[in-house]
Amino acid sequence: MLQSPLRTPLIEGSKSYGSITSDILNPMMNKAGKFWYMGMTIAGLAMLFGVFMIFWTVWQGIGTWGENRTVGWAFEITTFVWWIGIGHAGTFISAILLLFRQKWRNSINRSAEAMTIFAVICAALFPLIHLGRPLLTFFIFPYPNTRGLWVNFNSPLVWDVFAISTYFTISLVFWYVGLIPDIGTLRDKIKKGLKKNIYNFLSFGWKGSARGWHRHEITSIMLAAIATPLVLSVHSIVSMDFASSIVPGWHTTIFPPYFVAGAIFSGFAMVQTLLIITRKTMGLEDFITESHVENMNKILIATGSIVALAYMTEMFMSWYSGNEYEHYAFMNRATGPYWWAYVIMIGCNVFSSQLLWIKKLRKSLVFTFLLSIVINIGMWFERFVIIVTSLHRDYLTSSWTMYKPTIVEFGLLIGTLGIFFTAFLLFIRIFPVISISEVKSILKTGTRHQQKTDLSHDTTE
Amino acid sequence: MIQRNNILISFDDEVPLLQAVRKLRDNKEIITDVLSPFPVHGLDEALSIKRSRIPVVGFIFGAIGALLAFGFQAWVFTVSYPLIIGGKPFFSVPTFIPITFEVTVLFAGLSMVAAMLIRSKLKPEIRFEPVEERITDDRFVILVEAEDEETTLSRIRSLLSGIHTIEIR
Amino acid sequence: MMDEQFDFKQKYRNLLLILIAGGILVSLAAIFISKPGPSRIWANVLLNNQYFMGLSLGAAFFLAVHRVAQSGWHTVLQRLPDAMTTFLPVAFVLMLLIYFGIHNLYSWTDNNVSDKVIEGKKAWLNIPFFFIRIVIYFTGWIVLTRMMRKNSTALMISSDLKYHNRKILFAGLYLVFYGITVSASSWDWIMSLDAHWYSTLFGWYVLIGMFVTSLAFITLLIWLLKRLGYLKYVRADHVHDMAILIFAFSIFWTYQWFAQYELIWYGHLPEETSYYITRLHHFKVIFFINLGVNFIVPFFGLITFKAKRQIGWVAIVAAVVLIGHWLDYWLMIMPAAAGDKAGIGLLEICMTLVYGCLFIFIVLRSLSTGPLVVKNDPYLEESLNYES
Repeated sequence: MLQSPLRTPLIEGSKSYGSITSDILNPMMNKAGKFWYMGMTIAGLAMLFGVFMIFWTVWQGIGTWGENRTVGWAFEITTFVWWIGIGHAGTFISAILLLFRQKWRNSINRSAEAMTIFAVICAALFPLIHLGRPLLTFFIFPYPNTRGLWVNFNSPLVWDVFAISTYFTISLVFWYVGLIPDIGTLRDKIKKGLKKNIYNFLSFGWKGSARGWHRHEITSIMLAAIATPLVLSVHSIVSMDFASSIVPGWHTTIFPPYFVAGAIFSGFAMVQTLLIITRKTMGLEDFITESHVENMNKILIATGSIVALAYMTEMFMSWYSGNEYEHYAFMNRATGPYWWAYVIMIGCNVFSSQLLWIKKLRKSLVFTFLLSIVINIGMWFERFVIIVTSLHRDYLTSSWTMYKPTIVEFGLLIGTLGIFFTAFLLFIRIFPVISISEVKSILKTGTRHQQKTDLSHDTTE
Repeated sequence: MIQRNNILISFDDEVPLLQAVRKLRDNKEIITDVLSPFPVHGLDEALSIKRSRIPVVGFIFGAIGALLAFGFQAWVFTVSYPLIIGGKPFFSVPTFIPITFEVTVLFAGLSMVAAMLIRSKLKPEIRFEPVEERITDDRFVILVEAEDEETTLSRIRSLLSGIHTIEIR
Repeated sequence: MMDEQFDFKQKYRNLLLILIAGGILVSLAAIFISKPGPSRIWANVLLNNQYFMGLSLGAAFFLAVHRVAQSGWHTVLQRLPDAMTTFLPVAFVLMLLIYFGIHNLYSWTDNNVSDKVIEGKKAWLNIPFFFIRIVIYFTGWIVLTRMMRKNSTALMISSDLKYHNRKILFAGLYLVFYGITVSASSWDWIMSLDAHWYSTLFGWYVLIGMFVTSLAFITLLIWLLKRLGYLKYVRADHVHDMAILIFAFSIFWTYQWFAQYELIWYGHLPEETSYYITRLHHFKVIFFINLGVNFIVPFFGLITFKAKRQIGWVAIVAAVVLIGHWLDYWLMIMPAAAGDKAGIGLLEICMTLVYGCLFIFIVLRSLSTGPLVVKNDPYLEESLNYES
């Protein structure tokens, strides 16, 4: 397909199909560098700390957390929503950018989709451990039982169960279907040994036949088509955990799309964090180019602006509504005892992301990396502000309290970060971080090759 | 596995591959299969591959999922164990929608993947011997059915003389 | 082919002008005979203002999003939505006319001190500020769309890339301004019809409805021009992408509709449910037709691969979507503005006809002022060879 000469190349350097394979596979098949070991050590330690905190929570009980009568949800739900939100960028890149035919997504979708799976795993931990009796977790699923009971289908918390299970399953399946051809490549590159047998098993006998590719492409497009409304619905359902209540600051109709925009915002920030490091340490700068980083920054500023618009709308409406409780909820956020969290939220989400209007900053890798961390901190605080400030002071003033997190809760947050990064570091050693076959399919149209050759291909080189 | 004599023609680029496919089909050769490391644009039309009906499978199973999910919730809340929760009616359509939607997507997605795997005969197996090792790397292969190897081989060689091939065997 | 220009023949102009004149006459007759009351008449003015202004704004939104995303495929079509934005100055004048009906539409314009809720909103809901905001909205919209249009048409003559870059800059500015103002304007003009009610989603709900309607109108324009023998280079591939957008954003609209409805239903707070109770109890049929037409038709009508590629079929679905979203605006505006007197009769049909013909007239006239294709646009070649 013809490309305008105005477009920056999607793949740098003069590559051939063979060099694409080796460029992507070599870093993972060779021995790991010291950065990898360093990363694994830190992440592994964090993960162990978190695992111990999970054990401590289950063993000693929820009393080890800082929640109290008034503030029944705090750190854990915040972190839960934060992780689910981060996961959404993966599906956005895999599915929505595919539907919009944005070819630049081909070199980042594999790692983004893997990120989604790990993020959802981290998120799913919280429903498990925040129940008073974790051994009875299966109660949340509707199964026939001797008590004749069913789950409360009216409750958004049950919708969450279905939404997150579906999201995890479909994301996993989507990721794996895309991975099959690349596992085939790995299988054929490795000559013998246990690794070859494992990849052989996992490759499902993929041989690259034309009909196979045809079905694969159609399945991928269809999965993308259903994953798109899925990603919108999952975070909307998560937002309905709050919005379907009547707590001031929570009961507001804008929550579903606002949460989705925020999720994509924080998710893309996390993708930037991961990929800026990965492209450098694995030598993949030719595939994950600076223009990829810039494109992702454009999405960051778009979604960041939508989030800012939502803040403005909520603030205006809290006054316009004439509802004193709603109005107080917002005044309390900005001027009450948690005002500092509010400042972090606005500063990290609104002001920082608006800096991306400046072209130089948009193209700067260092700025992008720092900004991506800042944005994720800001988005964590956004959920914290929404949850804790609305709960700690709602209708009944005699119930107003403060909330203070305990070391166990901090440990859980750090622990999930550890699990996430450990999983991602393992992933980059086991599976190709970039989708080899998809990048090959854009080699001709995405590089200077295309601009040089003419359109009639009667003779070969 | 049906043992059929096949002539293997390999290329290093998709452009000569497409030219060869068109030439072979014009000459009424029977192409058993074409293998490539990525989906080649234009190959489906050259081989007259009909559009897969996997989306239809997805739609049907999605519809089944929708009916199952909605029906189940309705049955639970109206027949099996009706409870007044938050003053809402027993048959509360708005609250049934989210789960109905999720189950629809789940059924549609899984059924399409299953259909793809079954139709392409893909399953986990211990041993798989590729026809040409670099298929998944940087080689493109056409497999042509050949009753008599020798004559077919020479016929194909002359047919594809103007096209850049790597190997014909 | 590159220089083909739309010929806005005299007979089409005359037809449209006759329809406008006839529509006005029949509307006046309908007012005289059925005496709908000033609220309903002014509600019709507001409804049509919003709808047709929305077509312009949504068209600009389509262009802005595509330009900022550096999308190539739409380049061959861009003169159509560009032409649609020329209606905005007319819409500005028409919206200012609301001044004469403001007491019939908005209850907050009465000096009813006993209503504490409305008193509390006086800082925003007062007539001077209301009209200052109208001026701000329209000035921004007209200036930004004009700058986008000028820089786009400059590429018809010059090949200087600076016009292309400026076009993208104004697209970005438009998106920011539009996001804020479409929310605020929908609060001002539609939401305040019932000044006790509020919904934070309202602005975004209107935004998406606007976008889908504009997509449908652009598609109909494509169909019309192809019928008249133009746009031969617009192929099934381009139609496919328009159809995908209508399909996807109709689903997105439905999702917004559901989000607003479900949360208000669930919370069951009287100050919020009043909106839906009015509409469900008195206008049940239209309520469900609205949902059906705007979701079921585009969803099932455009779900298959083949359906998306035939301009004739997609145009039919687009026409249904256009009517459907008019109904959506009707449901938002009429029950609140006209109350008991609300209805869909000769008055509504004729006034919409008048506005519609005026809109088409202005759009086609703008289209005819230059070639249908922007010759030097850097993405034009890509667009002409687009395969989907």
